[in-house]
Amino acid sequence: MKLNKQTTVLDDLTAFSKHKNEPDWMLQLRMQALSKIEALPLPNIERVQFDRWPLLEAEQAFQAMSADDLEGVSFQIDEKSEQAAVIQFGQHTVIEKLPESYRQQGVIFTDIFTALKDYPDLVKEAYMQLAVQPDEDCLTAFHAAFMNSGVFLYVPKDVHLTEPLEAHFFQNSRIKEPFVKHVLIYADTNSSFSYVEKFETLFHEPNTANCIIEVVAKPGAEVKFSAVDQLGENTTAYFNRRGHLMHHAHVDWALGVMNNGNVIADFDADLVEEGAHSEIKAIAISMGRQIQAIDTRVTNIGRHSIGHILQHGVVREQATLTFNGIGHILKGASGADAQQESRVLMLSDKARGDVNPILLIDEHDVTAGHAASAGRVDPEEMYYLMSRGISKEEAERLVIRGFLGSVIKAVPLKGVREELIETIERKLIE
Amino acid sequence: MSVLEIKGLHVSVEGKEILKGVDLVLKTGEVHAVMGPNGTGKSTLSAAVMGHPSYTVTQGEILLDGENVLEMEVDERARAGLFLAVQYPSEIAGITNAEFMRAAINARRDDEDKMPVMQFIRKLDEKLALLDMPEEMAERYLNEGFSGGEKKRNEILQLMMIEPTFAILDEIDSGLDIDALQVVAKGVNAMRGEGFGAMIITHYQRLLNYIVPDVVHIMMGGKIALTGGPELAQRLEKEGYKGISEELGLQIEAAEG
Ligand SMILES: Nc1ncnc2c1ncn2[C@@H]1O[C@H](COP(=O)(O)OP(=O)(O)O)[C@@H](O)[C@H]1O
Ligand SMILES: [Mg+2]
Repeated sequence: MKLNKQTTVLDDLTAFSKHKNEPDWMLQLRMQALSKIEALPLPNIERVQFDRWPLLEAEQAFQAMSADDLEGVSFQIDEKSEQAAVIQFGQHTVIEKLPESYRQQGVIFTDIFTALKDYPDLVKEAYMQLAVQPDEDCLTAFHAAFMNSGVFLYVPKDVHLTEPLEAHFFQNSRIKEPFVKHVLIYADTNSSFSYVEKFETLFHEPNTANCIIEVVAKPGAEVKFSAVDQLGENTTAYFNRRGHLMHHAHVDWALGVMNNGNVIADFDADLVEEGAHSEIKAIAISMGRQIQAIDTRVTNIGRHSIGHILQHGVVREQATLTFNGIGHILKGASGADAQQESRVLMLSDKARGDVNPILLIDEHDVTAGHAASAGRVDPEEMYYLMSRGISKEEAERLVIRGFLGSVIKAVPLKGVREELIETIERKLIE
Repeated sequence: MSVLEIKGLHVSVEGKEILKGVDLVLKTGEVHAVMGPNGTGKSTLSAAVMGHPSYTVTQGEILLDGENVLEMEVDERARAGLFLAVQYPSEIAGITNAEFMRAAINARRDDEDKMPVMQFIRKLDEKLALLDMPEEMAERYLNEGFSGGEKKRNEILQLMMIEPTFAILDEIDSGLDIDALQVVAKGVNAMRGEGFGAMIITHYQRLLNYIVPDVVHIMMGGKIALTGGPELAQRLEKEGYKGISEELGLQIEAAEG
């Protein structure tokens, strides 16, 4: 794929890395990735055409941060709350808050460049090494080369945190600037915690977003991961969230795909060792003319590993929503379990919903199953609701809320459930 | 007082004429029973009044206090005061019964006059108790996985929560055992009064022992064939639709069930 870049890209990249005091291995990783982008293909996402999308816009990736960026925007957190939080706007980290008790236990929750400086070895162990590789395709390579903001979260061995850690990422689309965000979550052995992230766009400049979120879960670690994605309508985005789960690690995902622009997303759990367990729950709304295509994959490598996918989505107007559910059980993963349910509800004649369950099974002694449907709102249901005095619009909202609610109900964090419900309400009023 | 007038109503389904001129006037304070053999068009009548999209009115009028009901959308009809307890209610996952009923109640009210949550809960608890329904029914998804009997009770629960002016109850007794039948009747009887009128569609006289109608209509061949007092239902029980139709010199078109 052709990279849209300035001729000085290599110099810019080197200068940026130096400016950030990145360790040498990081600069090497960037440069190697850069050299491979154009030779690598796009990732394969079944049934969607996105080869003409502006996903390789490298221009201005490393422009100097300017104080002007922050003019007219303000961010706040509840000072009294004991919650760990990071807020970033464009390339700026505007708020970082880590309760003292967390710090004392060795928890790290900070800007990715600070982490590269202060904890280079820890970052190096996991950054695009275990979950996502830089040379998988041109988008991972683009990411590795042009990453320009992010956070690092580390929870040490045997540390259990009760309050969720929260990251809020605002894309700065006042200017032309690719939003290349990396989140690296490193859950050390037997740790347990919840993490919530939110993506939003401020202002309306057309931009590319390339967000890779890696969760490395060491043996026995338990992570509850939640996300609400609401990038703007002029942002063309690629999301890759991937878990790398070791012995009896457990990662639960609750993902709200509520962007307003075109998006391809890859949500994966690699269950690499025995007893690893991941539950992926996703809800999505596509509206207007937008296209969102989501590959959700669980790969069972370890014996007795468990991977479950539950995803429901709603398509309005002339939008498109594609769910590809992929359950892959590798040879040797005896006793593994891969289940998936994907459903799409279409609310208009021009709405396009597509579900595509794919099971690839290379081992005998396993359990696997899938349920999938793409359909329209049942007119009898609408009639029934309306016959009680509820208007057509309200009835439709109820049906949608109900349809997505069956996934939301299964989300473990109450705050996230409420956030998802609120987001849906807001989107449906638009 | 309110009046629901059905005048010379002809209704077709998929191009086939089912109702062939139905006349009926229902006033608040009254309970009417509509009886008739299977397939004669009783459910068609109820669906046409509520505005189900599959039923086409080809002739005649439906007026609610003089307003043309046929020009209203389904939800407008409901907000104007009409309610239909259907034979086969839809099951809708993800929407709780309570949430649904609150939406229905508030749809009738202005923004600044929504029913307060506490008031809603109190009313709901009271009606649940009256209908012998466990409280958790309110938190279950709308009709999802409900037994036949639970669905019928739930229709009556909605009736009691919404308090319409006119209710049509289509075979609310079918599939109910005697205890459930009594509970459903208790609910309907509790609604009786000056400001409420009901049309009870039933195949059997049994329900009318518990909800005693003021007027009984016998429908055959897509028309009201005979109208009388409660004794008409008893006569029907003895003689059957066949006896009555012979007496009237009518042909029963649909099979008797
Ligand atoms: N939705 C429908 N589609 C096709 N035919 C229908 C439909 N509803 C009713 N009918 C037909 O209309 C006639 C009257 O049915 P219905 O009104 O249900 O009778 P009743 O309630 O008196 O048993 C029957 O012949 C039935 O098959
Ligand atoms: Mg019927």
